[in-house]
Amino acid sequence: MDATVTPLRIALVGVPNCGKTALFNRLTGSRQKVANYPGVTVERREGERITPDGRGMRVLDLPGTYSLNPTTLDEAITRDVLLGRLADTPAPELVVCVVDAVHLPIGMRLALEVKRLGLPMVLALNRMDVARRRSVHIDAAKLSAGLGVPVVATIAVKRGGADALVEAIEAGRWITPRAFTPAPQEHGAEDAEQMQRDLRGLLAAAGYSPPRENPWSGRIDALLLHPVAGLAVLLAVLFVMFQAVFSWAVAPMDWIKGAMSALGEFTAAHLPAGPLASLLVNGVIGGAGSVLVFLPQIVILFFFILALEDSGYLPRAAYLLDRLMGSVGLSGRAFIPLLSSHACAIPGIMATRTIPNWRDRLTTIMIAPLMTCSARLPVYGLLIAALIPARPVGPFNLQGLVLFILYAAGIVSGLLVAWVMKQFVRGGQYSPLMLELPDFQWPNAGNLVLGLWERVKIFMSRVGGIILALMIVLWFLSSYPEPPPGATGPAIQYSLAGRIGALLEYVFAPIGFNWQIAIALVPGLAAREVAVAALGTVYAMSAAGDDLSAALEPVISSTWSLATGVSLLAWYVFAPQCLSTLAVVKRETNSWRYPLIMAGYLFALAYLASFITFRVVRAWA
Amino acid sequence: MGLDSAVIQDFAVALIVLAALGFSVWKLMPARRRLRLLLALDGWSARHPALARWRERSLKPRIARAAGVGCGGCAANDVRTSHRPR
Repeated sequence: MDATVTPLRIALVGVPNCGKTALFNRLTGSRQKVANYPGVTVERREGERITPDGRGMRVLDLPGTYSLNPTTLDEAITRDVLLGRLADTPAPELVVCVVDAVHLPIGMRLALEVKRLGLPMVLALNRMDVARRRSVHIDAAKLSAGLGVPVVATIAVKRGGADALVEAIEAGRWITPRAFTPAPQEHGAEDAEQMQRDLRGLLAAAGYSPPRENPWSGRIDALLLHPVAGLAVLLAVLFVMFQAVFSWAVAPMDWIKGAMSALGEFTAAHLPAGPLASLLVNGVIGGAGSVLVFLPQIVILFFFILALEDSGYLPRAAYLLDRLMGSVGLSGRAFIPLLSSHACAIPGIMATRTIPNWRDRLTTIMIAPLMTCSARLPVYGLLIAALIPARPVGPFNLQGLVLFILYAAGIVSGLLVAWVMKQFVRGGQYSPLMLELPDFQWPNAGNLVLGLWERVKIFMSRVGGIILALMIVLWFLSSYPEPPPGATGPAIQYSLAGRIGALLEYVFAPIGFNWQIAIALVPGLAAREVAVAALGTVYAMSAAGDDLSAALEPVISSTWSLATGVSLLAWYVFAPQCLSTLAVVKRETNSWRYPLIMAGYLFALAYLASFITFRVVRAWA
Repeated sequence: MGLDSAVIQDFAVALIVLAALGFSVWKLMPARRRLRLLLALDGWSARHPALARWRERSLKPRIARAAGVGCGGCAANDVRTSHRPR
């Protein structure tokens, strides 16, 4: 067989949170997101591996499922791939069924179902290190004999932890002809009972003994899942996170600001005056550089998010908030998508595929952009640092407190919108949260570093890519046409951008926005943090003389009123300024209707919230 | 004639702005249209043997990436779409 031309198709299947994606990353060298909670993978993912003898393997990572009778879209993908029902994906030639060795019975039920499809299969007993520590006994040879497939032990999170699996796959003893067609599924109560009997027999034959209970785990859960103490812990964790975002980031942000300022001065000093110097100093350094300053805050925020993900705490938080979410008409399954939306609304919206009921799914999609994504952090960070004094409020820093309030405002407004939707959209039903609580574990340092590195790369590629490009275009629009002879005001007022800003000011003046903000909102439609870069460019172009690379923060604090700044913060809690999010909503709902409704209601909410905030703060101040 | 020349500066700025404009349009273009353009480019380059190496190494991976959706700001941007919900 010449597998270099037609690679062997391998599918990874298993119940949620058994370590499929970690194993996929280990096999293919990919860096797909892994986390210690179920529902991270909602699409098939594909990677390749070339064996030392040149054979190709195409590995598919499939969404986790407890059964091949799907109830959700993501589970249906797994079933359809295994049965070869997808037009562009033939049935796999080898299935690697991944089971969590610590909780063997849960995964083995699915393994039996997959085995009955008749596809060649290898069983990977994952997390064997944890299983051994917790005195789980499994006789792999007897399990293999009973099941009739090879069984290998794996530790997906450790280097070399998948070597046995790789050897087993590369040996290629179970490859069958490519024209293989899986047998159709049979369902029924009798069938299920038979499978349960088979499962018990298999576990008994393999001498399986369940894991020793960890007494600490029970005690920690008693605290974290307590209706009052658990909520207090959750609030405390979030408070510490937002405080840290401001207090820990001060020094590195100052270093970056200093470096940007020095770079601007160096460039201005070594280039002859003219359009090129203006482009580099005001467009590139003053624009894209002003966003780069927020890298430390993003790293700190994701350090906490990744650590919480890896520790197993987040599903506990989902359990705590389930009743609250149910009371406003949200499904318990909405928690993970809404949580993902705090990083970016796009994976959050895709994660709604785990919600079986269409109305519940639509409600979750519609409120996902209200969760504060990481792209808002530069906007919030800039405005808070410029307008809110860094004075203590009890044990807290006022700036951190305001950031916490902004994040809370996003969550509360999301719950309110869900409640309103519940009154208008019929057909919903509360589906209780059925969530397997993962074991507690110390966050893996390697995972943390890798996750943070991925976030840094994403942020830097945005700053060096679309943000930089848009700032150059904005610089051009802010520079041309040049002012007429004898003009006295800043050149930008006579430019195309200045004229557009003056027109937009009529729309935004009632909510306190000046023409500079109005201009910044337009390129900010590409992504929210672009608005910060745009403000940097616009203010640099508005300044007189060559002192154009000054930091944005002091300019804002000296020229904006508190009412204007707070009004812009209120705007960004609601504004749907991310075209990619709207495009994904269109794809996920298969209609233009819902992204248009989403954009409409979010703009209306943003305008109303800014209007009220501006008027109230101005009257109060 | 160096950077002191207004003509050279104007020319350099024009090139940078045009490149930035092209890149912005490309990045903000709907995924489907971008994929269609890449496929058209792939079809054209297939007729030119001299471009075979570039096609395999650069164009094909771009087509694979463009087959998904998402934005550069999320980890989901290299996910390949397998179905469309009804």
